[in-house]
Amino acid sequence: MEEKVRKKTYIDDLDRGIYDVKNDFNYSFKADSGLTPEIVMEISKEKNEPQWMTDFRLKSLEIYNNLAAPPWGPDLTDLHMENIVTYVKPNTEMKGKWEDVPEEIKKTFDLLGIPKAERTSLAGVGAQYDSEVVYHSIKEDLVKMGVVYTDMETAIRDYEAIVKEYFMTCVPPSDHKFAALHGAVWSGGSFVYVPEGVQVDIPLQSYFRLNAPGAGQFEHTLIIVEKGAKLHFIEGCSAPKYNVNNLHAGCVELFVKEGARLRYSTIENWSKNMYNLNTKRAIVERDGLIEWVSGSFGSKVSMLYPMSILKGERARAEFTGVTFAGKGQHLDTGCKIVHAAPYTTSNVNSKSISKDGGVALYRGALRVAPNAHHVKATVACESLMLDNISRSDTIPVIDLMNDEVDIGHEAKIGRISDEAIFYLMSRGISEKEAKAMIVRGFVEPIAKELPLEYAVEMNNLIKIELEGAIG
Amino acid sequence: MNNTLTKFNEKDSKTLNTLPVITWRWLKVNELNLKDIKLSDLQDYTKPYINEMDFKDVIVKNMNSKLKPNENIKYFFNKEESYGVSEEFTALVEKHYNSGIYVHAPKNVKLTEPIRIEYNMDNENPMVMDLNLIVAEENSEITLVIDYSTDEKAEAFHNGVTKIYAKDNSVVNVIKIQRMNDKSYHFDSHIAYSGYNAKVNWLQIELGAKNSVTNYVNNLDEENSEANINSIYFADGDRNVDLSYLMNHRGRRSISNIETRGALKDKAKKVFRGTLDFKKGAVSSKGNEEEYAILLDKTVKSDAIPLLLCREDDVQGQHAASAGQIDSNKLFYLMSRGLDEKEAKKLIIEASYAPIIDKIPLEDLRNIISEEIHRRLLNA
Repeated sequence: MEEKVRKKTYIDDLDRGIYDVKNDFNYSFKADSGLTPEIVMEISKEKNEPQWMTDFRLKSLEIYNNLAAPPWGPDLTDLHMENIVTYVKPNTEMKGKWEDVPEEIKKTFDLLGIPKAERTSLAGVGAQYDSEVVYHSIKEDLVKMGVVYTDMETAIRDYEAIVKEYFMTCVPPSDHKFAALHGAVWSGGSFVYVPEGVQVDIPLQSYFRLNAPGAGQFEHTLIIVEKGAKLHFIEGCSAPKYNVNNLHAGCVELFVKEGARLRYSTIENWSKNMYNLNTKRAIVERDGLIEWVSGSFGSKVSMLYPMSILKGERARAEFTGVTFAGKGQHLDTGCKIVHAAPYTTSNVNSKSISKDGGVALYRGALRVAPNAHHVKATVACESLMLDNISRSDTIPVIDLMNDEVDIGHEAKIGRISDEAIFYLMSRGISEKEAKAMIVRGFVEPIAKELPLEYAVEMNNLIKIELEGAIG
Repeated sequence: MNNTLTKFNEKDSKTLNTLPVITWRWLKVNELNLKDIKLSDLQDYTKPYINEMDFKDVIVKNMNSKLKPNENIKYFFNKEESYGVSEEFTALVEKHYNSGIYVHAPKNVKLTEPIRIEYNMDNENPMVMDLNLIVAEENSEITLVIDYSTDEKAEAFHNGVTKIYAKDNSVVNVIKIQRMNDKSYHFDSHIAYSGYNAKVNWLQIELGAKNSVTNYVNNLDEENSEANINSIYFADGDRNVDLSYLMNHRGRRSISNIETRGALKDKAKKVFRGTLDFKKGAVSSKGNEEEYAILLDKTVKSDAIPLLLCREDDVQGQHAASAGQIDSNKLFYLMSRGLDEKEAKKLIIEASYAPIIDKIPLEDLRNIISEEIHRRLLNA
């Protein structure tokens, strides 16, 4: 009965290159570790916030203290909230010009390609270093059309009425423990307002980077796309590796109005000591469209499930995601879709790869409300395991409360088939290259949804990650 | 009153069929919560339930405490693991069963005729708690048909446990038919162990009961072991169907299949929880899981949670689930041939059940089931 067990060789993870560059940190203000009403008030005071926001923060803190962490999902016991510095402000004020940004911070973002991206035609760029936005710019013609793209602090000052109307109404602090935490200590992030009928043809982009050890990043992204308008927003994240666990509990709220279109692309490449507990949600009105493109590569633990609430008739949601879990990573990702109106459609396409003991998990929810007739939805998940020390789970829930629906769900799990490798090798391709080719083909549907520089970045990341696994 | 019963009645709300891996709480699908299930007393079931026939060398006996089945299944004992709709329900059966059978198929014996067991609950005998133990020795083959029914009036309660130990190269087929009235409760827990190259085939027909909660756990610990579940359900009125299937793949080249088809009408509710769990070492295993639901009314509720858990790369796991109304093309075709809409729908639903009903080895039961579905579809 002895069967030859397939041999595999393992190569250590490669240097993550520029993503691991860390800088010495000196700050103008740093809150004490842990969380008390005093710290929250201090943050609010430091930011010169209006009273309603201070009250909102304190109320969120109270909710945070009363909520338990979720009983499902990855283990969060190593995350000690009392050790995480909630708010770190880099030693620099907001800059309008790239040249004015301090050399050190500039260098980091240069390495990550931020201003480069701007030069190559992105409409606006915001970069967040630790908790504050350090650089923000937007093309002039967009300003003329009434498009607002700025950091959240400025937005509260200059567009208080809009912010007050929308802020954390999509993701209320009572949603879960980390949403409450976010409500209490949020800092930085982007605010985008696209007026009625305005088509922003080139993407807006923001990049978040966490540099301080043991710090938390709690940026808030609020995007409102008015009637018939169009926007593509790109978010990138990274952090260097320290031995202290870092926390990212950001919040993204997207409001897609009647007939509007929004594409939200993310490449998350947090370092592998990061707890990425991010909450993303979109409310889509009649005839609106939300498209999520999401790549999760980094972090130690991720819990990330972009949610689309299809509130108006004929609203649509598309989700395309890829998750790549390597050594020591537990990436619990997926997507939630709520069909709350008739004739709404959704399409979910998720791929995950796990290797070297990594855990890649798809957790999904698809709900059709009782009044939502003529709903169409498809969910497709595929998982690829590159070895047998890794783990890959699929946990979808399909919850239907209406009969006039057309729902399809399928999932597959497995490894690269020997036949495929054999075929490629018979065509003269080495085994290593054949495997890499198949993996690239596997994530291709996602890669092609990304803007060029992000697709290149993703390919690089896969290359870095795969070097260790294939052989 | 005895301890197990007191313990059973202790909790107001019973947690049943909990998922192997839980997820968001707002969806309320992690488990089934049933309130007010209390038993005032344990009752005997006095009717005969085993059909008289010649079982050749196969031992078929009423379950009783004098039997010593453990001698034959020592091999499986250290592998015992949690199973069933919930611990309190299975504990009650293990201690206080009032019926059930013990089947032992000796080596190399192949029984072609099915062993037939019938429970018909009425006001005199409203409670069945059956413990069934089935041991198939090497290279044997047996088929069992267990039928649960009630008369029209009784508020019956069924809580059962079925354990199968299929040794190397054996085949065990179990057909479970549940057609109790809509005032009754049905709880059924199953666990099976397949040895080397052994096969356990379950056929589940769920037509009745107000609340039907069933749970199937299959342990594929050995090389080439196999388990198949084919189930159909038809739920109308206020019925509640809760299905839970778990396939534990540990052996190399182990195979599992789950295929569930059903239709929901009126205010019926269905939850399908199917899990393929590929443990480490289950090299070259295959698992397949399919669930198709036909929704006939606005007021139905249909949940599906098809899990795939995987700790081994060299496996093939697949699941597919779909739900919706009857295919409009099929409907159009039949109506263009002169059938009215209701007849056409009936025909399509009956056709989707037919392949599974045809697998029942007893003609009279096949007819009873077909007629029952036919009658209930007509009343629509």
